[in-house]
Amino acid sequence: MSSLACIIVEDLQVAANYLEKCCEKSGQVAVKGHFVNVPDALAYLNENTVDLIFLDVEMPGANGFELLDQIAFSPKVILTTAKKEYAYNAFQYNVSDYLMKPFTYQRFMEALQKIQPSGETVSTNSASDHIYIKADGKLIRLNNDAILYIESMGDYVKFVTADNKRYITHNTIKNLEEKVSKQHFLKVHRSYIVNLHKIDDMRENMLFIKGNEIPVSKANKQDVFKRLNII
Amino acid sequence: MSNYANDKPFIFNGEINVQSINELYGDDYAYIEEVFDTVLKEYELLTNNIIAAYDSKNTPVLKAAVHKIKPIFGFVGLLKVQQQCQQFENTCHSATAFESVVDEFGSLKNSLIKSKSLIEEEKKKLELFNNQRA
Repeated sequence: MSSLACIIVEDLQVAANYLEKCCEKSGQVAVKGHFVNVPDALAYLNENTVDLIFLDVEMPGANGFELLDQIAFSPKVILTTAKKEYAYNAFQYNVSDYLMKPFTYQRFMEALQKIQPSGETVSTNSASDHIYIKADGKLIRLNNDAILYIESMGDYVKFVTADNKRYITHNTIKNLEEKVSKQHFLKVHRSYIVNLHKIDDMRENMLFIKGNEIPVSKANKQDVFKRLNII
Repeated sequence: MSNYANDKPFIFNGEINVQSINELYGDDYAYIEEVFDTVLKEYELLTNNIIAAYDSKNTPVLKAAVHKIKPIFGFVGLLKVQQQCQQFENTCHSATAFESVVDEFGSLKNSLIKSKSLIEEEKKKLELFNNQRA
């Protein structure tokens, strides 16, 4: 595996030091920074991108998920907490793994092995009017106009179509963002890409598409406004 | 030729789970000393947060403060104290009134005080041990 650029967001010094030591020992992860609170991490991520964030959820001031809401790209995330109540959020935020502190180096390496590039499961050129996805053991053509939105499901994504079908395929929102037609689609949240032509209405931080509620992150809200034909 | 002093393992206090320490750090005693030192530096702030939360009779904040300190006991092999923290968090979670956590907090507070002394002692022993090996 090539070297991954990461940051550590952790307010417990002993845990951050240990994590940094594990990264160094692995030879696979370059630690670009350690931050003890969300605002400092956010300031860094507004100027820099990373492949991976080791993220403690419970920190003073703001929690880790608030950080993920505010960044404009989609790095892999390994949580350094193990609270069951975070499971739903973790799923929404494409979290690769959890590490319960303290964890062994072996457990750390297991988590790292889950940070793999996604398989090529979508064939498209971004100017095309359709895409092909690998689902149910075959290649399925989806016209852009037929897709309502795409939702992250951990290492998988779900395509939801106008005829109320759902296609699940191995991929990530980050990868798809580059591949789908920019004319039709926009990432509105780290876990969602929507078909701009299918938006029925928007209220505060939610988009509505055929009865489906789609969250809009603070980081992506301005992009949404720019792309909607507001008069 | 093997140096006896360098091969000699460190003898941890019986309260410390040696297997856990070995799994985390192996025989890297210099790093283990660093871990104990870092934990001590954080200890006062973390325990002060717990006491402040207790004094304000705020159960959710108290639970969060105990949750925050809990992992450091894992880093120094005090697994029973780590479990005691978890148990106290569970008590806070199900508590309907602050008064219902008071007795258990007394026991936890004693453990926090004893643990600090124990970690300080172990840190001194580790420092001496590492100096002798150097």
